Amino acid sequence: MKKYQDTTVRSTAMRRLSTISGTRIALFLVAVPLLLSLSLLLGPTGTMLPDLDSPVGKAIMILRLNRLVMGLLVGAALSVSGVVFQAILRNPLAEPYVLGVSGGAGLGATMAILFGAVSAIPLSLPVMAFMSAVATLFLVYGIASRGSGGVPSVYSLILSGVIISAICSSLIMFLVSMASVEGLHNVIWWMLGNLQPAPANQRFVSSLFIVSGIAGAWLLASRLNSLTLGREMAHYQGINADAVIVAGLLCATLTAATAVSIAGMIGFVGLIVPHVTRAMFGPDHRWLVPLAAVGGGTFLAVCDAFARTVLAPIEIPVGVVTALAGGPFFLLILQRKMKSAWIG
Amino acid sequence: MENAALTFDKVKAGYKGRIVLDDLSFRVQEGEFISLIGPNGCGKSTLLKTAAALLRPVEGRVFLFGKDVRSMRPVSRAKLIGVVPQKVESPMAYTAAQIVMNGRTAASGPWRGLAEEDYVVIERSMIYTNVLHLKDRYFMELSGGEQQRVILAMVLAQEPRIIMLDESIAHLDINHRYEVLRILKRINREERMTVVLVSHDLSLSAEIADRLILMSDGRIVSEGPPEEVLVPDILGRVYDCELKVQRDPVTGTTHVSGILEGINSHSGAHNTVHIIAGGGTGIELYRRFALQGFRVTTGVLNGMDSDAEAARALGVDTVLEKPFSAIGDEAYQKASEMAAQAEILVLSDVPIGSGNLINLRLAEEALKAGKEVWIAEGINERDYTDGKQAAFTVQQLLADGARIWISLHDLMKELKKN
Repeated sequence: MKKYQDTTVRSTAMRRLSTISGTRIALFLVAVPLLLSLSLLLGPTGTMLPDLDSPVGKAIMILRLNRLVMGLLVGAALSVSGVVFQAILRNPLAEPYVLGVSGGAGLGATMAILFGAVSAIPLSLPVMAFMSAVATLFLVYGIASRGSGGVPSVYSLILSGVIISAICSSLIMFLVSMASVEGLHNVIWWMLGNLQPAPANQRFVSSLFIVSGIAGAWLLASRLNSLTLGREMAHYQGINADAVIVAGLLCATLTAATAVSIAGMIGFVGLIVPHVTRAMFGPDHRWLVPLAAVGGGTFLAVCDAFARTVLAPIEIPVGVVTALAGGPFFLLILQRKMKSAWIG
Repeated sequence: MENAALTFDKVKAGYKGRIVLDDLSFRVQEGEFISLIGPNGCGKSTLLKTAAALLRPVEGRVFLFGKDVRSMRPVSRAKLIGVVPQKVESPMAYTAAQIVMNGRTAASGPWRGLAEEDYVVIERSMIYTNVLHLKDRYFMELSGGEQQRVILAMVLAQEPRIIMLDESIAHLDINHRYEVLRILKRINREERMTVVLVSHDLSLSAEIADRLILMSDGRIVSEGPPEEVLVPDILGRVYDCELKVQRDPVTGTTHVSGILEGINSHSGAHNTVHIIAGGGTGIELYRRFALQGFRVTTGVLNGMDSDAEAARALGVDTVLEKPFSAIGDEAYQKASEMAAQAEILVLSDVPIGSGNLINLRLAEEALKAGKEVWIAEGINERDYTDGKQAAFTVQQLLADGARIWISLHDLMKELKKN
């Protein structure tokens, strides 16, 4: 008991308990604008800044800016969704795909495209995707809790999520196989994942959804920290654990479904960006949520720039680039830094 | 109820389809140090969960400082009661300081982050539990004792007025266990914090607590100061085994221990017991008598009977008849010779039919030879012979000096007396 006699309570307590490396944040804040400007220089028309005085150059620049914004939004959405799912399920494998959320959103979007709702009703794509994602989440949650008496266990959630997800993708396959040639083209094009700017009103609503979802997740951040100690402990600490879980799942579903509706099925981002961010900056969600949003957005924007440039004029699906570029990088991080992200 | 910290008023609680706490009422005064004891599965953890509103009582009410815990907001509840569970794990790599910060989360709403005074509380509770030097270490890499102190710091950072610990110290080594106990005792004394400690260690509970609450099967069996609760009679009944309670005249502490030397203490008069059983009624008898150091024989049993299997596994000498057939003369003769070697004959609550009625003759012979014969009560319910022959025989045996036994615990005590 002698050890602490020289330690007095000081007002510097706040700094002495600070939990995040300032150097890394600084590096991050320098790297992000650099990478983003780099991605503005890349495009199928050449790796240079286009001539901004000519109307063509201007149009190219606006197109690139638009795609940059799309990439930022979608990447941020998928990453934050992954962060929230991993925290609530306390499981490193959790991501939008695992809970069936992406699959549900994909099914909704496919139906909207094939049954002609997209051209008939404005905004039907994101709304339909979100609604079917929420319906899928309820279904997964309902099935999982039925088996375990009220509160679903993580394992039953993940299991039923994976199964529902598989059912959704089979249904998508079925719908695609029955589709007309024109519908088929639309669906495949959407499904491969691309960041072509959507119509203006859809873009506006989607960014509204995504930004509010991320903001919601950030507000929940300190509660998510508590929740990683388990539902029971969070309850004892005066946190309404069930409310946080439901709110978190809704935020994560909203962002993931919207991302799927505007950009199709882009895999990997929701899984690896949270892990890499956590490995770099630690698991405190008050930092993790914004950092994963910025990091994931930048990652996807840069991947998109590569996707449209490398084999120009052919455009590679951005999902291919995220997996091919992100995979090895992720494995490298996994080897070296996993200890500062997950233990066990 | 002014200074009652925690009140249970006729609480019935449990899980889906299973009531664990049965009409439970008790009161803990503010500033008390209570130890909650009782055998595994008696409802101690359920009681903790109910007190912290994790479980809703089916009936009855729980009050924290006079307020119904169900009507409380989670944040205000956490300011009154803090719970240290058996084990807390975080899958992510939080540092010890980050873990402790969670204790202040609920108090600082979602809009406002932690304020200066929150950090002061965090640091103070880390100093109190002596974990400040661990603040940058990963929580999951700390030793068990360190983790437990970090969790304690986290719960203290809630600044609750009652703290409940659920066997949290059971798996710590003696040094760390006493370190945590010293911390608890200190906050109990200095901050008037009410402490409820769930523990398996009866001696330790007696040493540290002002008052013990002994639970069994979801009810309170006894409560009061350690010397009133830790009585061999009560403990023996609750834990269903023989326990020794010793008081140290110098320090006044109470020491409770089980009895290990039974095997040696029975080297004297009774060393063989013959048991008449069947259908699984003998298993517990064989086990208990063998543990008490008796030589055990049994028979006649049918082969493949569950008692026959148990007897074989326990190395009990057995006389067997063919499976599913009536006991014949040959087997009976062997059993009679075997029983003649024993000093005591015990009849289990085996159902008696025409097939095994002959076994009762072993008891008659034993009585004639002047041996002790014990018969399980309730022969009428398990007599399946025509014309109630078994019940009639037992009546005669009792008239001739056989005795009735009801619980195994009492039987053992009686045998020990003689």
